[in-house]
Amino acid sequence: MKVRFWGVRGSLPVPGGKTERYGGNTSCVEMRSASGTRVVVDAGTGIRKLGKELAGDGEAGHASVHLLISHTHWDHIQGLPYFAPMYQRGNKMSVYARKRDDLHLQAVFASQTHDPYFPVPFNEAQAAIEFNELPDSAKFNIEDVQVACTRLNHPYIATAYRLTADGASVVYVSDTAPFTDILFEDQFIARPPSAGAELPAKDKQKLKLMREGVIRLCEGADLVIYDTMFTTEDYQRIPHYGHSRPGDAVDVCAEAGASRLALFHHAPERTDAEVDAILADTRAAAAKTARGLDIVAAYEGLEVEVGRS
Amino acid sequence: MELKFWGVRGSIPAPGPATVRYGGNTACVSLRPSSNGLIVLDCGTGARNLGITLMEGAFGKGAGEASILLSHAHWDHIQGFPFFVPLYQPGNKFHIFGGAKSSSMLEGILEGQMAPQYFPVQTLKNMGASIDIVAIAEGEPFDVERCQVRARTNPHGRAGAMAFRIEDAGRVVVYASDAGYGADGPPAASLELYRGADVLIHDSTYTPEDGRRYADRGYSSVEDAVGAAIAARVKRLVLFHYDQDYNDTEVDALCARGRRLLDERGGRDIDVVGAVEGATLTV
Repeated sequence: MKVRFWGVRGSLPVPGGKTERYGGNTSCVEMRSASGTRVVVDAGTGIRKLGKELAGDGEAGHASVHLLISHTHWDHIQGLPYFAPMYQRGNKMSVYARKRDDLHLQAVFASQTHDPYFPVPFNEAQAAIEFNELPDSAKFNIEDVQVACTRLNHPYIATAYRLTADGASVVYVSDTAPFTDILFEDQFIARPPSAGAELPAKDKQKLKLMREGVIRLCEGADLVIYDTMFTTEDYQRIPHYGHSRPGDAVDVCAEAGASRLALFHHAPERTDAEVDAILADTRAAAAKTARGLDIVAAYEGLEVEVGRS
Repeated sequence: MELKFWGVRGSIPAPGPATVRYGGNTACVSLRPSSNGLIVLDCGTGARNLGITLMEGAFGKGAGEASILLSHAHWDHIQGFPFFVPLYQPGNKFHIFGGAKSSSMLEGILEGQMAPQYFPVQTLKNMGASIDIVAIAEGEPFDVERCQVRARTNPHGRAGAMAFRIEDAGRVVVYASDAGYGADGPPAASLELYRGADVLIHDSTYTPEDGRRYADRGYSSVEDAVGAAIAARVKRLVLFHYDQDYNDTEVDALCARGRRLLDERGGRDIDVVGAVEGATLTV
């Protein structure tokens, strides 16, 4: 299975000289099994370039794309209106995301391209598009790729995906806060919890189970792609924004016995030099707590081979 | 008046080494009139960097006030709004003007972007600053930061986009992003709005060739921008809103093309520059 990173940034795209190396496009990762099944996780602005590649090659007009959406915050869906294969008759696209009580998945995407926000309405896309709403712990197959899910700790709730094919597994864990200080559901949280405030026992229990779910999903994985948007200082200041630190990701990978971790969803303000430094610090710290864990910082254009391909 | 360009790109932000010189952020221009107030023209992703800069001054203390003019609500003109940090500082005041049938409809359009399925802040009401939202009456002058402003709606594909004429102590800046005039060129009302401007910031998404190829998309080519500048006898033309797929070398060529077309078509006396992210221009 081959993994390609098309967008590694969180919040919003950040063009400019300071983000040139890691890249400024928002979240999008492509996985392709040896037999050619293509699964894309998230549709941030990075998906535009993947779309150009698909529209330009031999697959045009008969491409098949399976798109897993972690959650529908802008930085995970804003590239889709610019995904060229959507506008090509003959192509097929299947979109998967968590089922919600309040909104149909299709409506969330249709609104994105509705007047007055975008010139081409969703129903004018020429590809055959189907939507699949998933329960929290869904397990299903996409051709030869097995998919498993678990819910994450993020405002309005996100989903983590494990993809298994060719004897290898890749897990996508973005976006999520650690499972310790705040339980995120659908409500808006205006400020961090006050110092010394105890979490209600039922929230603690729910977070404990959620973390166990994530560890199980990452168990023995060949590659874990993890939301590490926050530094320690960020987390102290704005824990209620719902993102993790590199140390949180290392702990999960160590407990789950994963072999490789990709730091992902870099903060928009993070310069290339700062990501370099975070990577170096994370490796140094992990050398003591997670021996044998290989750590990389995801960058646009990075390709990783896992298992047979 | 001082203009500063924070985002000059159209459609979708275009990060990467190929766009570093002109910049990859979507539409946002700031204008400081002689009153020393602040007018923000559109809120593409460029607005994020403007906001960070503003927080170093009065806006960081909750004592800032500014007016935002929105040409239309396509994503590349509003997607920086949720990331414009001064909006989160209680005490700051913002007056937002844009085209819509009513002020509450304009508010609804901005709320749509903040909704919980798309953005964690969930509503404008959670942002902190005081925000008032006013729908613009087409053609009628109104005051913004002690400048006189008029707006006209340009054709823009199936939608429209407002162009703004901003007059301050006898100087005139016109912002006309996203204009797709069709074969007959700019409507008379648009030319009247642009007439004699010291600076015309004009949609110049495409080369003349791409402009003909994508005529139905509702954008101007550099040729259309030059045509408008000559017909309205403006003093300086600023090319703006480049296609997301053009690299820096291609934008260089687009700007050189603008100069040549002006020279060939009777606009030798009109100055032309390509908008560059981070650049300032004094009027």
